[in-house]
Amino acid sequence: MTALRDLTDEQFAARYHSDRFTAGVLGNRMRYVVDHMCAGLLNNAFSSILRDWYDFGATIAGPPEQGYQMSTVSNSLAVFLGTMGDAVRNTIEEYGPEEVEEGDIIIANDPYRVGNHVNDMCFIRPVFHDGRIISFVTIRAHQLDMGGVVPAGFSATKRNSYENGLVISPMRLYIKDKPVRSTFNLIFDNARMAALLHPDMKSIYQALLLAERLILESVARYGVDAYLGAISYTCDASAEAMSTALRESIPDGVYEAEEGIDADGVDDSITYQLKIRISKQDDRVEVDLSGTSEQARSSVNATALDAKTAIAVGIKMLIDQTTPFNAGSFRNIDVVVPPGTICSATPPDGCVFLYWESTMPVLQAVYRALSTVLGVNAVGGDYGSLMLHNANGVTEDGMPWTTVAECGGEHGPWGATKAGDGDSYMVAQLINNIDPATEAIEANSPVVVLRKEYAADTAGVGTNRGGASVRRDTLYLRDAEHWSSPLHTKKPSGVGAYGGGEGVAQACWMFPPESFDIARTQDLLGTGPEVYATSQPIAGVLDPQTKVLDPDGEYHYFASTPIWRTKPRTIFRYQTGGGGGWGDPLEREPERVMHDVRDEYLTIEGAYRYYGVVVEGNPLTHPEQLTIDAAATEARRAEMRAGSGAAH
Amino acid sequence: MTNQHPTVAPARTVDRAEVTEQELRDLGVDLARDFPGSTAADFLRYPVLSEGGWFMVVKHQPTLRSVSREPWDLFGPIHLTSHGLDLS
Repeated sequence: MTALRDLTDEQFAARYHSDRFTAGVLGNRMRYVVDHMCAGLLNNAFSSILRDWYDFGATIAGPPEQGYQMSTVSNSLAVFLGTMGDAVRNTIEEYGPEEVEEGDIIIANDPYRVGNHVNDMCFIRPVFHDGRIISFVTIRAHQLDMGGVVPAGFSATKRNSYENGLVISPMRLYIKDKPVRSTFNLIFDNARMAALLHPDMKSIYQALLLAERLILESVARYGVDAYLGAISYTCDASAEAMSTALRESIPDGVYEAEEGIDADGVDDSITYQLKIRISKQDDRVEVDLSGTSEQARSSVNATALDAKTAIAVGIKMLIDQTTPFNAGSFRNIDVVVPPGTICSATPPDGCVFLYWESTMPVLQAVYRALSTVLGVNAVGGDYGSLMLHNANGVTEDGMPWTTVAECGGEHGPWGATKAGDGDSYMVAQLINNIDPATEAIEANSPVVVLRKEYAADTAGVGTNRGGASVRRDTLYLRDAEHWSSPLHTKKPSGVGAYGGGEGVAQACWMFPPESFDIARTQDLLGTGPEVYATSQPIAGVLDPQTKVLDPDGEYHYFASTPIWRTKPRTIFRYQTGGGGGWGDPLEREPERVMHDVRDEYLTIEGAYRYYGVVVEGNPLTHPEQLTIDAAATEARRAEMRAGSGAAH
Repeated sequence: MTNQHPTVAPARTVDRAEVTEQELRDLGVDLARDFPGSTAADFLRYPVLSEGGWFMVVKHQPTLRSVSREPWDLFGPIHLTSHGLDLS
C-alpha cells in the first residue's frame, strides 16, 4: 500500500475527499473538540472523581458505515480511550443505528459490552447532518457510585455481576434533548450519591452538546465529505505510524513474558498468572494471552476489551510515542485471548471491577517481553498497580463522606529510559489521570494527608534509574471503613530495561492509635525500620518480626480483613512499587549517584551497595557538602564488575 | 493471614482450528503462488480482537498474514443472559 506521504494530490483527494492541508486542519480541529469537551467537564463537574482526578475521557468516532472508527481521543485516561472505539460500536449496534435519533444520548456501562467497570458510564451522542449520522461524540465518565454491595464500588471482594452494581445495557438518557425520566430513575433508585451524579450528568450532557456544535461548525465550513475523510485519514495516519514502528523497531520473532496478581479478594489460596506471547512478523503483531489463569473468584478481573487496550498502549508507549492514539493504533495488532481469564472475564461469575489491576500486568508483560529486543530503546516499567484505597464514614453532623482513590498508592513512579531517570510522582501509564490536590482531599473528607514523599533505595537501579517509590501517610480523623487493594506485592512491577534493575515491590501498613498516637506524640510517624513492628500490615511481603519490606519475608494478604474498620487517628501508610531502571548501574556517573544521595533517592549505604559509589558526608545536615571517594569507588566498582553483583 | 504456597489458578487457552486445502482454495488462496513452500498445516482459524472488534481469521502462522478476516460476534465469546431473549 502506498505510504500516505507518497500519495499524489489526486490520490489523496480521491481517498479522503479533501486536500492534505484540509485533512490536517480537520484532524487538529477534532483534537480541539475533545480538549474542549474535557475542559468544560473539568470546570463544571461536581464530584471529586471527575473534577480532581480527571476520571473521564472524550472521543470522536465515525458513523456506522465507517465502522465507528474512533478518530480522536482526549489527553486523558488511556484505559477509557482504548475501549471506547469498541464501546461505541457495540452500544450503537446493539441499540440499532437505525433507532438512533437526533438529540439522543445513549448510555451503557456493562463491562462485558463496553469494557472498564460499571461506574464508568458511556454517554454517546450521535451527530447528525442533513438527517444522517456523521459521527458519535462520547464521554466515558466515572460515576461516584453505581450501586452494588460496596459504597463507590471499589472492592476486590465482590463475587459476581449482581453484587457488582447496576448494569445498564444500551438505552436512551435523552430523547430529542429531553431527559428520559425512567432512565434517570433507574440509576438514581439504584445508586448512592445521586446528588452528585445528577449535576455531573448535566455537565456531561453540555460537553456533548458543545462537541456536536463544534463539529457541525467544521462541517459547515469544510463540507461533510472532507470531515468524514478526515476521520479516515487520522486513523490511517496512526495505523501507518504503528505499522512503520513495528517493522523498524522490533525484530521478527516470538517474545514471551509472565506476570501475575497476588490473589483475589476471597482468600489467598490461589494466585493468578498472566502469560503473554508476542509474535511479530514484518509490520504485523499477534499477542496471545493463552496460558493465562482462569478468571478470579472476585472483582479483580478485566474484560478482553481492557486487555486489548493494555497491549496497544504498551506497544505504542515503547515504539510509537509521537502519533495520536486512535482506532488506527490497533490495526496491525491482533489480540488472541481465551475467554474466562483474569483478562477476559465472562458473566455472571467473572466479576469485573478492579480491571486495571489485571491489565497493568499485561502492559508490564509487554515491556518485559520486549525489554531485551528493543536495545537502547527499551523502557523501564512503572509502579504497576494503583494500590487503591477507598474509605467512607460520616462527619460529626452526620453527613456521609467518601474518599475514592485519593489516599492509597494511586500515584507513583515511572521507569527510566535512554533519555534519563524515571519521574517519581506520576499516574500509571495505563491510567493517565491527574493527582487530586491535598487541599481538595482534606476539604472533602475528614482526613489529613501527612506525607507524600519518596522512599530511598526503592528505585530500579541503572545508568538511568527508575522513579522512587512514593510513601504516603494519611490520618483518618473519624471512624471509617476502608477497602484496600494492593495486588502486586509478591514481586516488583517496575520492569528493568537494557540491563537496569527492577523497582521494589509495594506494601501497605495501618497504624491504629494504640500503635502510634499522633495527638500524643505531636510528630509525624517516622520512616525508619523501627516504626513498623507495631503496625497492622495490610499487604506486602514483610519481615515477620520487624514488618519492614523483605522479599524473603511473609506475605500479608490485602483482604484478610475484607473491610478494615478503624478508630479516629488511625494512619494508613502506602508505599508504591519502584520504577524500573535502564542500563548498567555501574555506568551511572558517580556525581549523579551523589546527587541522588543529596536528594534522598538513595542512602549512602544504597549508593555503595547498588552503584558501588562511596559517598561521604551527611545528606540531611549538609546536603551540598557531600563528596565522593574516587579511589574507593573505583575499587568497589571493580569488585562488583568481577561478580559480586549489584542492584535489587 | 498468609499462604506462602498458593495454588496457581488453572490456565485457559485459545483453540486454533486446522483448515484444509479445500478451505484455502475456497478463500482464493493458491498456496504455490501466494505462500510458496507452505502447506495447509501452516494455516489456522481462530478469533482475534483488533481494530473494528472481534474477527474470525484464517491466518498463515509463519507470516501472520490473514487470508480470511470475517467479523465475528459483536461481543466475541461473551454470552449475556439477555442474548436470544424472545420478547415477542
